[in-house]
Amino acid sequence: MQGDPVSGPAIATEGLTKRFGALTAVDSLDLVVRRGEVFGYLGPNGAGKTTTIRLLLDFIRPTAGRAEVLGGSGADPAVRRQVGYLPASLDVDPRWCARDLLGFYGELRGGHDPAWVRALLERFDLDPARPVGQLSSGNRRKVGIVQAVAHRPPLLVLDEPTSGLDPLLQHEFQLLVRELVAGGATVFLSSHVLPEVEALADRVGILRRGVLVALATVDELRRSARTRIDLRLAGPPSAADLASFAGLAEVSTTDTTVHLVVAGPVDPVLKAAARLTVQAIATHDADLEDVFLTYYQGETADPRREAGR
Amino acid sequence: MTIALRMVRDRHRSTGWWLVGVLALVLFTIALYPSVKGQTEVENLMRNLPDAFRSMIGYDAAVPLTSPAGYLHARMFSTLAPLLLVVFGIGAGAAAIGGLEESGRLEPLLANPVTRSRVAVERCLAAVALLTVLAVVFAGATLGLAAAFDALTGVRLSGLLGACAAAWALALLHLALAYAVGAATGRRGPAVGVAAAVAVGGYLVYSLLSLVEALAPLRYLTPWYWYLQRNMLVHGVPAGAVVAPVLLSAVLCVAGWALFLRRDLR
Repeated sequence: MQGDPVSGPAIATEGLTKRFGALTAVDSLDLVVRRGEVFGYLGPNGAGKTTTIRLLLDFIRPTAGRAEVLGGSGADPAVRRQVGYLPASLDVDPRWCARDLLGFYGELRGGHDPAWVRALLERFDLDPARPVGQLSSGNRRKVGIVQAVAHRPPLLVLDEPTSGLDPLLQHEFQLLVRELVAGGATVFLSSHVLPEVEALADRVGILRRGVLVALATVDELRRSARTRIDLRLAGPPSAADLASFAGLAEVSTTDTTVHLVVAGPVDPVLKAAARLTVQAIATHDADLEDVFLTYYQGETADPRREAGR
Repeated sequence: MTIALRMVRDRHRSTGWWLVGVLALVLFTIALYPSVKGQTEVENLMRNLPDAFRSMIGYDAAVPLTSPAGYLHARMFSTLAPLLLVVFGIGAGAAAIGGLEESGRLEPLLANPVTRSRVAVERCLAAVALLTVLAVVFAGATLGLAAAFDALTGVRLSGLLGACAAAWALALLHLALAYAVGAATGRRGPAVGVAAAVAVGGYLVYSLLSLVEALAPLRYLTPWYWYLQRNMLVHGVPAGAVVAPVLLSAVLCVAGWALFLRRDLR
């Protein structure tokens, strides 16, 4: 790990570990987030994603190992000045309006660009004079997004950024993140839902029970993803028809339709299907959810570890 | 001082209500003085009361209860003033870190370019400033209204202002305790609980120990004795009544600050 504040990694951890009593929330995490990339940090609720972020920002201290943010410590105001943090829930004084919040944080950050802030408020259709406590959860989320990017930080740390946002706003948020990334920003995007990460991330780390179980590009994950293919035949398939699909991940039928799940290349399916009378083929987009789930399997089917807590 | 100013602004409305309440109580108390002034029965009644009760309400045989100094001491400086200021101080001290952290509002603040130390120091100063405003308004109202209702005869000005300072210092001590517990635990409940228990316990110990002559030296252990040991309006303010609580408060605040820097946030 090198401490270069300009060209080194945006985030680097070495054996980062956090225990709360008997529970190991983050276990020997080695992670490097490069400058300018969007890194998706995936895992189910309770996997240790938020704990990792709190370690990065020095809200809590590691039991072992270390973490570096922008070549320095997350405790250093000079580093925090360059970080935009969107917490999973933005808890601020409910009497504050967006203007109070942005004014206060702006002062702490050494000034916001007023035109940029105004544009953000307009873009997310926020009334800067409404008290935060009177806002819907979606609007509060938008205030959180605006405050996180108001100082155009080089590093964005986003914890479940689009939870509670409707699809239109999710899209708007994704556009905003892409713009910031095009401008050189790095994004650390934590989420437990795949599409949120899939839409933005270059690389993905999957966290399970505090352990990083996979690290891959989104393309790599997609390639290893399973493909679902439905073949509608002229009549109900015979046992011999189905036998030709042996070796696929999953084969099932309803009426005249054969449902197939293919891991890897789909060529065997085409070869086998060529012998049948196929009236229609439907393929479903390679869904990372399937990949994702394979890393989670055993989440509940491992009573030994559950009992050990 | 951005963080301190923000805290003052966030609490200005509730502090405003406190100011109104203090003004009303001071007015109510002092406005009653003219009707007590000429009544010698009160004095006779006091002489017949048990010692314990007399000491609890701050009765001093050398200062008649019907004199301005006796009345103000008994009705204001032994009861109303310390009670109001201590309660306000505990609230402000507990809110500074414990309340902020428990409500989840500390982490968004700390994600800004500020150190924990700065947040801890500024919010401590803001709490002290709010208490000081309340104490100053109390002192001004007492002085002004006492003058208006002819309740200053025999009262030393330095004694009156000193008594206000001592009440402020007593409240500061409880503010600092609430601050320190809040900073150490990140929770408001224990901060208020511990400080309130020390306030009530200290007062009870003071009252009980003033009954038992043999235990008299132990009285110095309770801050209420430092504050209530004599009628400051007549006899002047013992230096310890201000200096001791202020020094102890400083120790508590520094301890709270140091623990806050070292621990995990909740």
